[in-house]
Amino acid sequence: MTYPFDSLPANLAAFCDVLRDHRFRIGPRELQDAARALEITELFDERAVRNVLRPVLAGTFAEVHAFDRIFDRFFLRPAAVPAPATAAPAKTIADQAPPSGDPDLGRGAATDGDTAEEAAERGESQGAVQDVADAEGESTVALLRASYSPLDAEGAVLDLEPADRPWREAAAMLVSRVRAGRSRRWRPAARGPRFDLRRTLRSSLHTGGEVLSPRWQSRPRRRPRFVLLIDGSRSMATHTWPALQTAVGLAAVTLNTETFSFSTALRRITRDVRRAAGGERRLLQLHHAWGGGTAIGTCLREFLRLFGERLLGRDTLVMIASDGLDVGDPAVLRDAMAGISRQAAGIVWLNPLLGTPGYEPTALGMRIARPYVTTFASVTEPADLARLARVLRIR
Amino acid sequence: MSAAAALQASFRERGFIVDDAFATALQLVLALRKPLLVEGPAGVGKTESAKVLADVLGTRLIRLQCYEGLDALTALYEWNYPRQMLRIRMSEGEGESLQQREAQIFSEEFLLKRPLLEAIVQHEAPVLLIDEVDRADEAFEAFLLEVLAEWQVTIPELGTIRAQHPPHVILTSNRTRELSDALRRRCLFFWIPYPSLEQEIAILHARIPELSERLAAQIARSMQVLRGLPLQKAPGVAESLDWARAIINLHRDHLDLQVLEQTLGCVLKVREDHEVLDSHRDELQPVLDGPGSLQPGGHSLDTDFGLGSVSQPRK
Repeated sequence: MTYPFDSLPANLAAFCDVLRDHRFRIGPRELQDAARALEITELFDERAVRNVLRPVLAGTFAEVHAFDRIFDRFFLRPAAVPAPATAAPAKTIADQAPPSGDPDLGRGAATDGDTAEEAAERGESQGAVQDVADAEGESTVALLRASYSPLDAEGAVLDLEPADRPWREAAAMLVSRVRAGRSRRWRPAARGPRFDLRRTLRSSLHTGGEVLSPRWQSRPRRRPRFVLLIDGSRSMATHTWPALQTAVGLAAVTLNTETFSFSTALRRITRDVRRAAGGERRLLQLHHAWGGGTAIGTCLREFLRLFGERLLGRDTLVMIASDGLDVGDPAVLRDAMAGISRQAAGIVWLNPLLGTPGYEPTALGMRIARPYVTTFASVTEPADLARLARVLRIR
Repeated sequence: MSAAAALQASFRERGFIVDDAFATALQLVLALRKPLLVEGPAGVGKTESAKVLADVLGTRLIRLQCYEGLDALTALYEWNYPRQMLRIRMSEGEGESLQQREAQIFSEEFLLKRPLLEAIVQHEAPVLLIDEVDRADEAFEAFLLEVLAEWQVTIPELGTIRAQHPPHVILTSNRTRELSDALRRRCLFFWIPYPSLEQEIAILHARIPELSERLAAQIARSMQVLRGLPLQKAPGVAESLDWARAIINLHRDHLDLQVLEQTLGCVLKVREDHEVLDSHRDELQPVLDGPGSLQPGGHSLDTDFGLGSVSQPRK
């Protein structure tokens, strides 16, 4: 095993710096634990060192996978190590000639330690979600873009505004309409099905154990969860704003709101939506998620695979805002809709074309999705959202 | 032999195969006195590892099974209310003051210790298994942070109880929700993936010694194929073991199409997954036809099968 620097503390500190550059969350405590962990291992054994440092310094599945690559580059190819970025370790190694930089180890490639969700949030092509499009073949993606994007819309920027009062009120109506099930947690309540023995006993001490004022417990309702999947393809360009306002309005009312955009790839935009809900005006860099054609089925399948288990449940209402113009495999869309339908409380399809006179949902995507949708609606203004709250159907 | 290797050997003696990385992580739990958060797909032995660790250390295993709605009192302690009521009624007319009566009924005699308190008051460090911590609410997670940091519990009526021998803590999570950064930072972390082909064969032999070489290889290879399919519930090691036992009970020494049909319920637990397998049946055919010999290049699949954070696209 070769080392970039002379002393063990310097090597460890520099290695932790590189990990931090890759967005590992390493503080003084982790550094201290890593040093203690090295005390119990044989330092001449590269595998043993790797095995003691990994549980201490990598805290998630994604970090575990990134850790080995970074470890190899740092300790086994020391020439590739960049100059440590932070001041503290730099002092320790002040006398050392800084190793030559490796672009792969720099901040530019700092996606190794990210979770797939974080990658999806940034819409980076290295991210797992975008990889789906890659897996389908770049040529297919290029074809989709060419057929739906005569103009290059990749750099499009959308203004994400804080939701004004009518949107928030309509969103609040919608939240109140979704009645989630009861929690398993018992809470003190004025009335309820269960005796609160602890509080009853306390109150009866004054009466010699005679229960004159029994106390009760009940199970509160869980909070419903909303998942919005917004079609960002060019054919939806003029209709995305109300869908995003719906998302921002819901995020202002409940924290249990997750928002994604999709076209040829899925992108999580929850963080932007939450900031907009908090009153911050956001410019949403749309990347190509908003430019190309729509592979609805592929994107919904990816949503199911990456987020389904975590976000879907009997208290989750899924809202898909799309015109249903799908260019993907119909079987994939059918399977994805069936999967979401099975796991969620209901699927609302927000189709902006629904309000168009004479419109029939004959697009292939719509025909496939229809059996799984519990409510169809078109939302262009707050009143529409309030109307949706009244007609909403869930299982 | 290093401490980790000794631990690995002790686990193997008990029929539990761990690789050196996991053995090292367990060694760190003992050396650094930090909890270990173990994540991985269902059925890869997360819970079992804590049980075996307790056995290896010759100490008590205390298990806290988490679920939605679990609160601090259920995990920590509860007063024995019926006994308290009885005592109040029995002591009527003895002329005791309210304070005296309170001191009497809120004493250790009336305390029902739940897993966390039980783990704190042990005279020898037990193994505390906090199972499926992702199923508990965020509020409980915050409470857990406090306990894991201080190893002391304050009971208003009794005072503060501090652990003399803090337990060795193993937390498991199936990632049904994301755990907080704060909890992760207080723990060591280990991801248990599905075993490689060689590991799975070793596990099958360790747990079911009467299993033939051929059948073990066939089951392990079938599992590698099945875990590569887009199943809703990919089978874990627990399913491999169940499957092997089922086939042995049918007095068969190898896997063929008929046995596969008869025993598929041990492996696939969702109707839709049976349909997926039907459309990929040809991928299993070489396993059923062949001698089931160990093929070179068996490896642990680099995916968490839909649990999240997958960095490779599924083909």
